[in-house]
Amino acid sequence: MCIDFIIQFIVAMIATLGFAIVFTAPKAELLFCGLSGAIGWIFYSVIATVLEAPTLGNVVGALFLTVFSRSLAVNRKNPVTIYLITGIFPLVPGAGIYYTSYYLIMNDMDMFSSYGLSTIKTAGAIVMGIILGMAFPQSWFNKVFAPSCHKS
Amino acid sequence: MNDTKKVLSFAVELGDILLRNGAEVYRVEDSVLAILNAYEITDCDVYVLSNGIFASADEVTEHASSMIRHVPMYPMQLARIAAINTLCRDVCSKKISLEDAWIRLNHCKSIPAYPLPILIIATAIGCGGFAYLYGGTPLDALIATFVGAVLRLFLHFESKTAHSKTITNVLASMVISIVAIIFYIIGIPTHYDKVIIGGIMPLVPGIPITNSIRDFINGDYLSGSIRLIDALLTAFCIAVGVGIIITIVQLGGF
Repeated sequence: MCIDFIIQFIVAMIATLGFAIVFTAPKAELLFCGLSGAIGWIFYSVIATVLEAPTLGNVVGALFLTVFSRSLAVNRKNPVTIYLITGIFPLVPGAGIYYTSYYLIMNDMDMFSSYGLSTIKTAGAIVMGIILGMAFPQSWFNKVFAPSCHKS
Repeated sequence: MNDTKKVLSFAVELGDILLRNGAEVYRVEDSVLAILNAYEITDCDVYVLSNGIFASADEVTEHASSMIRHVPMYPMQLARIAAINTLCRDVCSKKISLEDAWIRLNHCKSIPAYPLPILIIATAIGCGGFAYLYGGTPLDALIATFVGAVLRLFLHFESKTAHSKTITNVLASMVISIVAIIFYIIGIPTHYDKVIIGGIMPLVPGIPITNSIRDFINGDYLSGSIRLIDALLTAFCIAVGVGIIITIVQLGGF
């Protein structure tokens, strides 16, 4: 189980890193982009499998991802967008979109509505997570994560 | 200050590049205002939409100046946003003159994307990784890697034609599904659904959704709605593209 999560963490990191290159993240930030994606995914994955609560997992994953991105943004003096946008990719309901359209075509309306609703729920959960993460005052991040040269 | 117009055109050009490369509305407004203030123009207004910038400065004086920009949506270039962010910091701390700032802005504008071979490898690895994360076997991930490479090549050639984004998305997801299902049909024991899910990840509208949420949080409801509709439309296009191919396969009885 534990090894499974470690593998997932590494795969999520590499996959996010790949997408960070696609969206032309600066070279020096690529590793951090990958890390933010992996952190979002691992919180989601652990909560989804251990507590069997995927929606809560999405909220918590997005929340930690946002907080981590904002800390990095302050510490590395870059816009938070860079880390947040690449990091959100593992959480985005790509599978949900696929299954929803698949069951619509199969004319299986029960499965279609169940997957459609769960996709909307996932998107809503990510929104909640980001909103919660953005709600912390910027001054907290400035105090804790400012580059060390500003501390005496 | 007599160079209101110069400063304003610099500030708006900087905002234009930020917006064009996928920054959120709040950041653009903030940067333009900060630059105007840095050059001691305090009587100014900036209004930014997801595809337009409206700015005016020194309305009541004889140097009154205003600008409107239409900014079409472009593929995201995070490196440019980061570079302009640094430039904006330097301008605001009054380290550089306006002329130097223009030179650096032009430099930021031309930061290139990564070369095509690297993009192909990156997309391939990304697709493979996500196919595995969404419950695929390592074999599925391997095939999704191949699908990702094909997808990037397709997008590269597609970007040279003048097709709209809608058609590009539908065609791209059709290509993904065709390649994934061909592997399934020739007898390789894959789960083609997992391969397709990995393959569509580069198309999935993660960026518009994230930006839309952030616009909503900052109270830019109009820009947020525009980007949300963009995201929903993209998701719909992907569903249509995948759907067409699966329907054909089902009717063909494979």
